[in-house]
This record gives sequence, structure tokens and C-alpha cells, in this order.
Amino acid sequence: MTALATTLERIVGPTHVLARPASLLAYRSDALPGHRVMPALAVMPGTREELIAVMRALAEDGTPYVARGAGTGLSGGALADGVVLLALHRLRRIIQIDPVARTATVEPGVVNATLTRAVAAHRLHYAPDPSSQTACTIGGNIAENAGGPHCLKYGVTLNHVIRATVVLPSGEVVQLDRGDASASASASSAGYDLLGAFVGSEGCFGVVADVTVRLTPDPERVITLLADFMSVRSAANATSRIIAAGIVPAALELMDQATIEAVESSVYAAGYPRDAAAVLLAEVDGAAAGLDDDVRAIEALCLESGARSVRIAHDPAERTRLWLGRKKAFGAMGRVAPHLVVQDAVVPRTALADLLEDIQAIGVKHRLRVCNVFHAGDGNLHPNIPYDADDADESARVHKAMKEIMTRCIDAGGTITGEHGVGLDKLPYMEALFTPDTLDAMCSLRSVFDPTRRSNPGKVVPVRSCREWHATPAARV
Amino acid sequence: MTGTALPIAQSPLAEARAGLDRCVHCGFCLPACPTYLALDDENDSPRGRLLLMGALLEGSISPDDATIGRHFDQCLGCRGCESACPSGVPYGELIEATRATLATHRPLPFVARFILSVFAELWLLRPVLAAARVVRASGLARLVARVLPARMGMPFAMLASTARRVAPGYDPATVRLASTDDTHHMDVHRGRAALLTGCVMESLFTDVNRATERTLAVNGWQLCEAGDQVCCGALHAHAGDPETARTLARTNIAAFEQSGADVIVMNSAGCGAMCREYGHLLADDPAWAARANRFGAKVRDVSELLAEAGPRQPASVPGRATTTVTYDAPCHLQHAQRITAPPLRVLAALPSTTLVPLTDSDQCCGSAGIFNLVRPEVAERVLDPKLARIAESGATVVATGNPGCLMQIGGGLVLAGSSVVARHPVELLDMAYARAARAD
Repeated sequence: MTALATTLERIVGPTHVLARPASLLAYRSDALPGHRVMPALAVMPGTREELIAVMRALAEDGTPYVARGAGTGLSGGALADGVVLLALHRLRRIIQIDPVARTATVEPGVVNATLTRAVAAHRLHYAPDPSSQTACTIGGNIAENAGGPHCLKYGVTLNHVIRATVVLPSGEVVQLDRGDASASASASSAGYDLLGAFVGSEGCFGVVADVTVRLTPDPERVITLLADFMSVRSAANATSRIIAAGIVPAALELMDQATIEAVESSVYAAGYPRDAAAVLLAEVDGAAAGLDDDVRAIEALCLESGARSVRIAHDPAERTRLWLGRKKAFGAMGRVAPHLVVQDAVVPRTALADLLEDIQAIGVKHRLRVCNVFHAGDGNLHPNIPYDADDADESARVHKAMKEIMTRCIDAGGTITGEHGVGLDKLPYMEALFTPDTLDAMCSLRSVFDPTRRSNPGKVVPVRSCREWHATPAARV
Repeated sequence: MTGTALPIAQSPLAEARAGLDRCVHCGFCLPACPTYLALDDENDSPRGRLLLMGALLEGSISPDDATIGRHFDQCLGCRGCESACPSGVPYGELIEATRATLATHRPLPFVARFILSVFAELWLLRPVLAAARVVRASGLARLVARVLPARMGMPFAMLASTARRVAPGYDPATVRLASTDDTHHMDVHRGRAALLTGCVMESLFTDVNRATERTLAVNGWQLCEAGDQVCCGALHAHAGDPETARTLARTNIAAFEQSGADVIVMNSAGCGAMCREYGHLLADDPAWAARANRFGAKVRDVSELLAEAGPRQPASVPGRATTTVTYDAPCHLQHAQRITAPPLRVLAALPSTTLVPLTDSDQCCGSAGIFNLVRPEVAERVLDPKLARIAESGATVVATGNPGCLMQIGGGLVLAGSSVVARHPVELLDMAYARAARAD
């Protein structure tokens, strides 16, 4: 590794290559520190040219690598186990903003919320809004095909990416394009939608050097409601009824009592009622006309489903507070216990109420506290279990409970990830979800971009289930 | 202060360990950290440093490791991360505990030791600051700042930026107010207030201290003195020398008890944050813990006291041109004391003034106590974006309520040849009162 480190230092400068184990400790994990592995070294290119040169040097050396943005991922996807960690957070130039075409071209290390702030003067925003948006990077969002509360109405990252310059693991630079900016999200140019395949490939297909994304006009009007319920079931039922009524809220989020308690104790206290079993945070936006009808309908459906009260945010400050509480809820779990696991299953919305009760029962059975905070409108669950990793017995119970919860979600017709990605954390569930043939097809697709399997090795598809992999003994991990 | 090396298990860091467990590693602190943004290494971020603290406790890194020590040294202590942390990690406490732990293993840098020892001893501090005033008055500071290369010139530019035309005093009773309903303002007695005059404030910002007293008087506060007060000890506590900080704290507690004040007024955000934490600092000293808590509970920033009283709005002077003012929040006001609205209310009371927002006003300017003197290269990289945002704001005055920030931003503006000046909010209010009194 020493010769490679010297080469990389020559490209990016000595301060941007970390090789001492003590200096690499901070890069052992992402935001799910239950998974911790040591990179062999970390390299942090500061320009596009440096990035390409680094990728070529790695290819020449045949060394596997893992790209990392801000390390806010929740699946262990950006962990480099004894290989090179390619940190992209220094590539944070906003290259171009085109308010007329409503696009922006940015480098991968640009922070999601920074992009929105940069275009706010044009009354535009970047719609995908993962809860970590104040810290996470656009590059990471593309790798994970990140979602967020407002994806219910506006779609996930995939729907907002128009074009990307990608450095393939071989060091080759390619343009992936899905037609011009004015084309609708679903229209693609001739040929296969390779950009569509790339977005959400969890860093296994290459690295983004720059990306052009769609910007969304700020809605004319936004109304945010907070409904509080005496049971989680009635909040889940309200969710199903709102969607069934044909309303498309901009966001529809559910938080249970344990989550409310953590948030209300934090600097992000939003004024959620601490004695509620669950709250539903709903938002409608768009043209001012007709919006009040949606609000009245949501209010009525919540009350009919058993809401104790429905409150409407009366100014932007209150709206911001209600949202900050929701978005920082994951971080606030540190108040409950020192460690945390979080899952990301997606289930049919109609099964939500039953599933939430089953999840609660699984928690009780294993003597664990399950906190739920999730995108109810999408049926995208995020059960959080705070625990103490130093307690071996509790850790074992957490592991069992998570496995049971995931199995239950799969059995209900759900899937294992909505927006966090498979990474390392959900690898064990891939074989329960897909047939060997399907997993094989995924490996074949990967081979198109990364024939030597050097990009984010060991993630997404379990190595043992990839038959083609075994047929290529030369591949190194 | 660099006594025998303590085993990690008995270190101040080990005592503060519970705070570390609160971190869930979410990374929401990264964009709030000026050194992460300036240095681009997660080891220079709050999340990274917390992880390194954990590794120190585990024994997986050595307290003698110079590279790791540098990451702790490079923390500004701005506590911007605390305002961003959903889990409430007490980062300020943890970094101080870490520094106190490391200080037993390796000496502080020479510059830091020198400055701290000067601040700990009045007989040393007074002549040093007096000499600084002479250099400033001679105009030499500004001259030297221009001649020297930027980094070496900065201390002189900082000094030059503290120069003021001496404001003539005025009788608080003669100040004409904007509202005619508010004529008997001197009759209201809000209570007795004693000012922590501070070391840097009283020497280099003498006028700000007088302005503080006058504006409080206009707003119904009766001033009283705490004669035997000393440095608040903030610089020492932040640098890893809590023992000297405790000695200074005890002297101050006794001095202010003598004064009979109802409230202890701060016009330096850094001192205010420290004084509020005397209870924590002396928690293990049974003779002083209760007295320290009582002291801490009486601490108020001057902007809080003024905002509580309105503040009283001075009458505008006809024909006076409008000034554009922006506000930069001192970290130790915004993050450590969570005081955000009162300084803006003080500025809102100024006649003929347009208040414009400053982007990233909650980000540190790089002053951070003596940080800019000990780590000028990092301080400079943190200051650059601040100066750029100030220029973009279009303001001609940037208001901020802390001597360190006034000098860091002021010095930066001097070096950049900018016509923008840095002023304490209280100075601006005082000048407006003075004009309203003179116009009588």
C-alpha cells in the first residue's frame, strides 16, 4: 500500500492522504456505527482532475476502493474494509445554476441543503430531502437513490437526476444522459437508461464527477398539519384513508410516543404533544386554489380516524420547527441509549397498522424499546432500536428482533430498503428477497460498469450468492 | 499545569464519559463545524473528535500522539455543534476535559502558555495591555499591520481595529427618546447591576465598558462596582488549565458577592459563557459550589438586560444618513448561552439604521479566545468566508458582542483594506443615545 500512498500523495497532496491507523479511526463507520471496519488508507481529491487521476491510479494498481460523501449513510454502504476509502466531500463546487432551464450542475460533495440554499433566491429548490439533508452530499444521495419526506409527492433522487459525468472503476470517464432538461422525469433518450441503472447502485458502478439535477419551483403555498392520536393504529389508519381519498400530500410522516419524547427533549423541540401515542405530520402544497379543500379533507379524515386534535402551522417559523423536529429525530435517539439500529423496510400502506402492532409485539417479546419515525405515506418504515452495545445480551436480542421485524415485513409483501440502501447492513436479507437468478442478473449488470469488482466490494449482493463472481477467480476483494 | 501524566481512567475525560455515549454518529454536526469546513478532514469535525476521545479512553490511541493532539488543539471551542446536535452531546465540556487530560501528558504550545500566564496575573497583564494601548495610540499598529505579511500583521491589525474616537459622555437623564410616552424613564429602577469589566474589555475596549454602563443607566439599571475582580478564566479553562480557572473564579465570586449586585452584567460573550459555568467548574469544591451556582444564576448578557427594558429607543436626529448594519453572532452568545434575539432587539432600536441579514452569522469567525494567536493559519481559513459574507451583506458596520470577535473580524477588515468596521451593539446604541442627548 505504501507505493500507492506515495502515488496518491503526489496527486492530491500529502495532507489529503491519511494512512496512519489513528487518523483513520474517524473513517471506520458511517451513521450506523454498529458496523466498523478499518480502511487501508483514505484519499481526498479536491478537484475533478485529481479525482480522475486517483481513479486511474487505483485502476492501475488494481486496488479496490469505496466512495464516501459525508458519512451519513444508514446501511454501512460507505465502509472500506482494508481497502482504499475515496472521500469526495472536498469536491463541493456548484458548477452552474440555470434558473431558466431549472437545473443545477454540481460536484458530488455538495451538501443537499446547500444546493437548495444556493437556488432559493430563484424561488427554486432541490426536491429530494432526506432527513440528513443538512449534512449529506448529493453524491451520496445518488449512490443510495435517497428519498425523504417530500418524495411522496415529488419522487426520489432518480426522478431529479438528468445527467452525470461518471468515472468508471477503470478510470474511464463517461457521460450518462437521460435527455435534455426540459424532458419530463420519465422520458429518456434513445437506448437503455444507463443513468437510471447508475442512480442507486450504491457506489458499485463508479463515482460521479459531476451531476446535473432538476430544480423544482417553490410551491405557491404550503400548509402543514399536525394530528395527534391516542393510538398508533388510528394514525396508521388515517394515513391509508388520506391516500385512498385521492389526496397527494407533499409529505405524510408518522412519529410514535418514544420518538416524540426524544425530540421534545432536544434542541429541536417542536411542540409535539408528549402524551400522544403518535403524531401524523402532513403537508400539502401547490397552487393556492383548492389547497384549503385538501386541508379540510385531511383534517376530517384524521378526526374520523380518532385524532384527538389537528393543528395547522400558522407561520413559516412554526412549520420549520415542526419539520426540524421530524428531520432530527434519528439523531435525538442518542438521548434514549448509547447505540442505535435503524431499519428501512417498505410495506404496503394497507398493512401498516397491523405491522406496527406486530413490530411493537416483537419489541416487547425481546424486552426492547422500538421507536418508530417514518414516511407513512410511502409505507416506508424506520423502526429504531436504541440499545447499549456493551451489553452482549441486549445486543443479541436487538439482532434477533431486527431479523424478526424484517422477516415480518418481507412476509407482508414488503421489501428491505426504501432509501437507505442495502450496503452491508441488509446483505443478509437479500437472499430472502431475491432468487439466485435475480441476484445473478444483478451481478451481470454490475459487470458492465465494474468488470473487476473493485468498486465498493462486498456490498449489495452477497458474494456467495453471485455465481458469476465465483467463475471469475481473478477478481479481488 | 503540566503535572504528572494521569492514567486515562482517572482523567477529566473519563469523568465526562457519559456525554460521549450520547453521540449516535448522525453527522448533523459536520456542517456546523468551522474547522471541518476549513480543513476538510473528519478528524477536525465534532463527530471525528468525539470518536478520537472514545479511542483515547479505550486506549486504542495514545495521549502522546501529536497528530491526534493537533485535531483537539485545532477545535475552536465555538460549540456550534451543540446547537446542531439532536442528542445534546455536551461537546464544550468534553473538549475541555480532553484538553485538561492531554495537558498532563504534554505541555501546551509556548505561545499559549505565555498568553495564559499573562492573563492569570494582573501585575503582568496590566503593563502588557497598557503597552498595547501605547502602540495603538501611536498609530504604529495600523502601520505595522500594513507592512508585515498578513499572518504576522494580524495581531497588529486586531489591535488597530480596537481604536475608537473617545466618545464624550452624556447625562443619561437628558437622552430624548423616540416615544413621548417614555419621558420619565429614569424613574424606573430595574435593579442593581455590576459589570464584569474584563481584562481585554477594560484595556482595549474601555469605551465599550463605559457605553455599557451608560446604556444600562438609560434603561433603568443602577450600576455598582465589584472592585477586586479578575480575569474570568475562560481562556484557561478552554486551553486545558481548569485549576487556574478555578482560582480566578473564586476571586470573582467573592468580589461580586461584596458588590451587592442583583445581576452580574457581561458585555463579552466569552466571559459570560464562562461565568455561567462557574457552578460546573467548582462543582467538586464543597466550600464554593453553592456560591458558584448563585453567581452563575445572576449572570446576564448586557443585550438581555437592554432587551428586557425595550431597549428604550433614542429619538432620531433629523437629516442623519441611514447606516446599514449587520449582526454576527458570537459563538459564546449564540451556541454556549443560547442568546439570539436580544442583540437584534438592541440593534432594532437604532434610529436611521437598516439592519441586513448576514449569511452564516452563526458560524465562528475564528477568534476563539487565543486560538487566532496560537493557530493563526487555521483562524485565517475560518475568517475568510466570514469576511466574504460581510462584504456580500452590503453593511458598513458589523455588530458583534465579544472582544475576540470584534478584534478578529475588525483585524481582518483592516488587513483587507475594507471600510467596514466592527462594533459592539452597545456602542451603537450608546452613540445613538449620545446624539439624542446632545441634540437637546
